[in-house]
Amino acid sequence: MTVLLVRPDSWNLPLLLHVGGAMALVASVTVAAVALIQGWRTDNPSAASLKRFGARTLLYAAIPSYFVMRIAAQWILSKEGLDNSNAAWIGDGFMAADVGFVLLVIAAIVANMAVRRDPDSGLGKLAKVGASLSVVLIALYVFAVWAMTTKPS
Amino acid sequence: MGYSTLLFLHVTSAFTMVTAAGLFLAIALAQRSDRHSATALRLAPVAAILWPIGSLLAIVFGVWLALHDSQYSLGDGWIIAAIVLWAVGGAIGGRLGAGYRKMTSGGGPDPAALAMNLALVITLLVILIDMIYKPGAS
Repeated sequence: MTVLLVRPDSWNLPLLLHVGGAMALVASVTVAAVALIQGWRTDNPSAASLKRFGARTLLYAAIPSYFVMRIAAQWILSKEGLDNSNAAWIGDGFMAADVGFVLLVIAAIVANMAVRRDPDSGLGKLAKVGASLSVVLIALYVFAVWAMTTKPS
Repeated sequence: MGYSTLLFLHVTSAFTMVTAAGLFLAIALAQRSDRHSATALRLAPVAAILWPIGSLLAIVFGVWLALHDSQYSLGDGWIIAAIVLWAVGGAIGGRLGAGYRKMTSGGGPDPAALAMNLALVITLLVILIDMIYKPGAS
């Protein structure tokens, strides 16, 4: 297998935005997951604050990071002339991004609904769904990083 | 181990570092409000685990990659720059983690925490730019 170690300069900016956006996305989903799970594990008043923090992180950090990652992905794909490629790793990336986006939006909606409905209490069922989806998202993103770096055929 | 596996492990470790930095930053931002400061410290134990693991594995797999591939050399300018920046980031992250651990056991907040977080974010961003652009690589 030939590995291209130094790529054309014109690919660097879209790749930087793609990887940077992905890092910000994973970091913000993990911050939200940790906050929601810590809120799940406690009964004291800090649970409500952790729930709010997790919900807002999904809405104001994770979703914008997703768009940076996804738009830059399309840009780099176009630069590399792979728009119509059937390569498995590109399909895996699209699957992780698109399924991940649906899960991310659902997680953000249910967590923020939980905050709205009951701002002063612990997690509740809705926020627990948000916490669980955040953990699923982290697993999906590890798969995406695997697909993007190993490029399985 | 092959190039792809090493790259996966290196990149995953880098993601772990950035995630820990995100947790550090979240704690620092929450510290600005009295209402959230105690709550935010509940994120500190996870950050304190992720930071050392991520940063250690990132340098181990990064150096391994450089040694594994004949096109790279540990003497390349961009690799030396990355190692220096990694050491700077490691020191900042280590101090942030220690400061938050001290706070969870009753110590006062570090007044320089927000500035250190900003320095850590900038350091990680410069490392990422260095890794993507590989200045001086042929």
